[in-house]
Amino acid sequence: MSRLLVTDITLRDGNHAVAHQLTTHQLSVYAAAADAAGVAIVEVGHGNGIGASSLQVGEAALTDAEMLAVVRAALTNARMSIHVIPGFATIKKDLRPAIEAGVDVIRVASHCTEADITERHITFAREQGKEVYGVLMMSHMAPKEVLLEEARKMEQYGAEGVVLMDSAGAYLPVDVRDKISYLAAGISIPVGFHAHNNMGLAVANTLVAAESGAYIVDGAARGFGAGAGNAQLEAMVAVLEKMGFETGVDLYGMLDAADVCERELVEVMPSAKSTSIVSGLAGVFSGFAKPVDRVAKQYGVDPRDVFFELGRRGIVAGQEDIIIEVARELAEKGSSDE
Amino acid sequence: MSDQIAAALRADSAASVTDVAKLEKLRGQRILVTGGTGFMGSWIAETVTFLNDVRGFGIDLLLLSPSASGFAQRAPHLASRSDITLLEQDVRDMSALPEGVTYVIHAAGTPDNRVHVTDPLRTMSTIANGTSAVLHAAAASDDLRKVLNVSSGLVYGAQPLDMAGIPESHAGGPRPDSISSIYAEAKRYAEAEAAAWRSQAKLPVVTARPFAFIGPYQGLDKPWAVNNFLRDALLCVPIRILGDADTQRSYMYPSDMAYWLLAILAEGVPGTAYNVGSPDGITLGSLAERIAASFENPPEVVCRPLGEPRSTRFVPDVSRAQSMLGLQVTVDLDRAIQRTLEWHRATGAGR
Repeated sequence: MSRLLVTDITLRDGNHAVAHQLTTHQLSVYAAAADAAGVAIVEVGHGNGIGASSLQVGEAALTDAEMLAVVRAALTNARMSIHVIPGFATIKKDLRPAIEAGVDVIRVASHCTEADITERHITFAREQGKEVYGVLMMSHMAPKEVLLEEARKMEQYGAEGVVLMDSAGAYLPVDVRDKISYLAAGISIPVGFHAHNNMGLAVANTLVAAESGAYIVDGAARGFGAGAGNAQLEAMVAVLEKMGFETGVDLYGMLDAADVCERELVEVMPSAKSTSIVSGLAGVFSGFAKPVDRVAKQYGVDPRDVFFELGRRGIVAGQEDIIIEVARELAEKGSSDE
Repeated sequence: MSDQIAAALRADSAASVTDVAKLEKLRGQRILVTGGTGFMGSWIAETVTFLNDVRGFGIDLLLLSPSASGFAQRAPHLASRSDITLLEQDVRDMSALPEGVTYVIHAAGTPDNRVHVTDPLRTMSTIANGTSAVLHAAAASDDLRKVLNVSSGLVYGAQPLDMAGIPESHAGGPRPDSISSIYAEAKRYAEAEAAAWRSQAKLPVVTARPFAFIGPYQGLDKPWAVNNFLRDALLCVPIRILGDADTQRSYMYPSDMAYWLLAILAEGVPGTAYNVGSPDGITLGSLAERIAASFENPPEVVCRPLGEPRSTRFVPDVSRAQSMLGLQVTVDLDRAIQRTLEWHRATGAGR
């Protein structure tokens, strides 16, 4: 039976779904429930990771230190993880304090063609004796050959595994099989997959990833994550176990944790809304759903047009400013066409 | 660095020089080492200063590096000596050998694989253009007696799992199209250029192919298994084995390495390559256990079954160096681990 490493990203990706407003109570009750379910790793933080709280991408209700302290206290067996994007997170200001706060696992992420920027953060985390993974975000934007090369860089830096993020929910199962199997054959460290549900494929894609050689699989309770949400963790665990994979997660415990999530954390249940489907088709970061809806309303344009234009321009997370520019241009074009 | 640490390094160097007669040709010579302030250069300096102080060799040692200034901090007992001269220069810019240089050890180019993938163009340029510059300068010199080109055991590519040790005659090679092969391919080019200079200009160039080492002057930040194990143990956290615990490596203590390199410089036959390393392979699992066992409160050794097992092997056959030059490994692995840990505890390096 193939064993998998399940990472519960509810308290990090889910923060996107509530504009980074998760409270200490919410973090505490869910972390305890996930821990009781036997989840191996619980990730916590601002949706864009530690050090990311800002006007541009959204200010979190809690500081990184507050989030880490409350989740640390709630975990008994699960390892606490953080998402680290160099640029948002600096070693001195963010990473070192996080390690002092008891982080066990550090996942250092970059855009899928920019693994070079992760070298110092991965090195530092390894020097501190921590478990470190590399993460390639928006991985639908690069061919498998480029992804392999970037993954090899992370491997050389000392990453213990590399996770491909389908940040835009743009993968079809055939893409997952193609890229995951190519990476699994090309690097000597484990490969992982992180799905988004824009086209309703998150759990199915995760299953295909596991069948294609992925060892690390991400999921969020009730799919509570950016945009259309992530792979629904409790369903993902159920399906993987049924298919013969060993997740180490207790199904009843996970179902209970998901109930806690729905009751305590979820304001609006994530679903593949029209704009999510469009953003998946357009290959645009799932976290753009809320700002695109808001800006489209403001400028009186169709958010679906905004998504397709963002996709055409290859816009990635961190370029939120462009949403306004695109909406304004579409509005101007609309009025000149009239 | 305290006098006590310097004395321990001196004792290591003295113990590794098993036959001083092999180095007689270096007596009174002026030796240039490129990459001179790195791990290899520092250990060559330790051995040369032992030869000068105790055996009256009178070697004049020139250490060339693009960032020589940090050396004074790392090894003040060497940097302050009158028989050592620091030259701050990029090896690629060398147009002539410093006056009177008779022997060259060309060891420039970091083996840090993180640098290789982040800055592959610079890595290739330093090795290829640096070697070119050194060999041009050596060929133009009237005083030169021999060049030792320090290559790498990585030029052989993946070692067949059923091959106990890679001999110098092994005709393998890395994949030329992989970002992970940048360093090895550049080293292959450097060897080829050295062969061309030897053939066309009769330049006396001998080659060393180093494998893996464990010892003082090696930072624990390097992303290699043994460094990670030592760092984990010193941090009092579990030693984590990543990948396959059956992967085999071998480790030589650097005072042996320095003696071997100087012996190859003095007695090595031009046009010949010599592996430098320990022929005694050890699995990463056993290595982690050996490091753990050297602590009073041994740290836990954790081997998580991550994905499919894929063991590899990187162990040299050193029978050529043994039979042609009479070289032997004098420091066993347990002693090497013990000395390395003592050095890190005393200097706080790598933490």
